[in-house]
Amino acid sequence: MLMPKRVKYRKQMRGRMKGKELRGVEVSFGEYGLQALEPGWVTARQIEAARRTIVHAMKRRGKVWIRIFPDKPFTRKPPETRMGKGKGNVEYWVAVVKPGRVMFEVGGLDEGTARDALNLARRKFAIKTKIVARYDLVAGEQA
Amino acid sequence: MEKVVLKATRRTVIGKQVGALRRAGELPAILYGHNVEPTAISMNAKEVTKTLARVSASSLVTIDLDGKEFPTLVRERQREPIKGVIIHMDFQAVSLTEKIRANVSIVLTGASPAVKDFSAILVTTLNALELEALPQDLPERIVVDIAKLEKIGDGIHVSDLVLSDKVHVVSSTDEMIVLAAAPKTEVEEVAPTEAEVAVEEGAEPDVIEKGKKEEEGEEEEKKK
Repeated sequence: MLMPKRVKYRKQMRGRMKGKELRGVEVSFGEYGLQALEPGWVTARQIEAARRTIVHAMKRRGKVWIRIFPDKPFTRKPPETRMGKGKGNVEYWVAVVKPGRVMFEVGGLDEGTARDALNLARRKFAIKTKIVARYDLVAGEQA
Repeated sequence: MEKVVLKATRRTVIGKQVGALRRAGELPAILYGHNVEPTAISMNAKEVTKTLARVSASSLVTIDLDGKEFPTLVRERQREPIKGVIIHMDFQAVSLTEKIRANVSIVLTGASPAVKDFSAILVTTLNALELEALPQDLPERIVVDIAKLEKIGDGIHVSDLVLSDKVHVVSSTDEMIVLAAAPKTEVEEVAPTEAEVAVEEGAEPDVIEKGKKEEEGEEEEKKK
């Protein structure tokens, strides 16, 4: 599963997710992508589950790009522990996603297969998503 | 393709105030380029979106600005990230007697026998090609027929394209446009067990220690 190799600090504060994503909002590498419509934390498990689903649905054709990386540690205190005594242990890693972010891309597939694969992957996330196509595919435009 | 003409008016509203323009159905844009002072313009959003949906980056678009016509190329379309609605446009005025460089999109058509018969993977490495030509000679898009890809390993290069004499390719002619690559060998992915996942999740990355120690160590070495 995805996680950083080295980090500067072991634990992080939770932070806020305000506004929309401004970068990484277009399908840049493949032909179709999965775009987030809500802000949220996407866990490394969810990313891996989605990747497996897409690869399985592609049947050894095409290519997948993962455009998010879980670099934020999620900590949790053990059950039945009294408050205090420091921050909990790192349980898993999450990627912070804001609306607009293209999380996955697929290329080298026909439209039907690509949409089916991404549709299956959509179910792996706790946030709302939609399937998007590269703009020059939609209208032949490119600018 | 028929001549595309878009009506525009000069715009005095700039900055954050353009939000009101957009709500009123106008599309803010800018016109700049060859011997043209950068001019803020506004256009009818509905008309522009409908017309430009079939216009590529290398198509000539005529801007009718208060009765004066400017031949232009669409240089940028800014979009709202989620809905994909165009929120701003850049038009570059061009001279019809001077050569310019523009990216022309490559469109693949047809069916490849390599994919059909040998389950090859179609790897597209180039989506657009930089061309130099007079604005009116630029092709709207370059259509590449992939029926030539008959077996695995076959590819189409820039040098294989048949282009007009009026057009000069700026990009390297050795560049690959599309390749019929061999299919991946089937590797059964074994789903990790719960215990394996737990171990993996429990693994912690290395923490980068503060640079002080390294510096101190280096200093000690220097003293020696």
